[in-house]
Amino acid sequence: MSKLTLTEDEQDALQELMNVAYGDATAVVAEMLDAFATLSIPNIRIIETSTLLEELKGLKGESYFFSTQAFNGMFSGESAFFINEESANNLAKHLECKTTEDLDDAILELTNILTSTLTTRLAKEMNTEIKFSLPSISKLPHGEIRTNKTLQDYTQVIVIDTEINFEDQKINGEIFILTKDGSIKWLKNQLNSILEALM
Amino acid sequence: MTYLVTDDSKLARLSLIKSLKTCEEDAEIFQAENGEVALEILKKEAIDIVFLDLTMPVMDGYTTLPLLIETKENIKVIIVSADVQEQAKLKVLKLGAIKHVQKPISPEKMKNILEALQ
Repeated sequence: MSKLTLTEDEQDALQELMNVAYGDATAVVAEMLDAFATLSIPNIRIIETSTLLEELKGLKGESYFFSTQAFNGMFSGESAFFINEESANNLAKHLECKTTEDLDDAILELTNILTSTLTTRLAKEMNTEIKFSLPSISKLPHGEIRTNKTLQDYTQVIVIDTEINFEDQKINGEIFILTKDGSIKWLKNQLNSILEALM
Repeated sequence: MTYLVTDDSKLARLSLIKSLKTCEEDAEIFQAENGEVALEILKKEAIDIVFLDLTMPVMDGYTTLPLLIETKENIKVIIVSADVQEQAKLKVLKLGAIKHVQKPISPEKMKNILEALQ
């Protein structure tokens, strides 16, 4: 398999489109939680899944809620949202969730809104449309994140990694958008078309 | 008019400049990739309007905005950001921005912004 890379301009363009998409998603979630989030600059890389799995070793929490949502179209893949147990408990407190089921439901809803708004806007900026599958959630002890089946379905992935941080509520999570080779090539073409139109 | 477009993204700057040039062909435009560079340019050039992003490395828009106004009291600063949270909008207006606009700025949106400034 040949290694795909993004040029500096492609990386800049994708980062900016992601920034716009992330802004939309954050505003929707901020309204849902009645809270204010700080935005961070998205980190974008094309890496081997094995490298990503190695990096996930560095996550700091004891266990994580890991929710994913697949999307399909010319641009297809999966968005993954990690939230550690401490943040999940703070979310439960903020939303006054009484049971584990209530919390699972809240995280799923948060994931659904966050990732669907994010990827819909990203797709719109790239002049395409995508369809979503239902999100799913699992609670993983730190040591088991690397054995998660979703991540192992990918070999080379584009990782768009950004943090959502509600400082006052002490809730933060990380979002990854994972796509495979076909979508990465399509993405590169779209980014270049967008750049050419501006030159 | 003389403009200063401040954004860490080249794509964002090119896109905004294209919209600006569509509305005002002979506009003089300077570019900065962060707040620190924007302040340096503002000290040297006769800038009328600054388009300022919020999320940038080195110096972000929230830090830059009051410093721009401190440097040149009558400068008009328009925030161009992906952050469309109500609190973000209120915060920048309180800090002295004359407008908060969601990214990206189409030529049509730019026309409305410039007309409102006249």
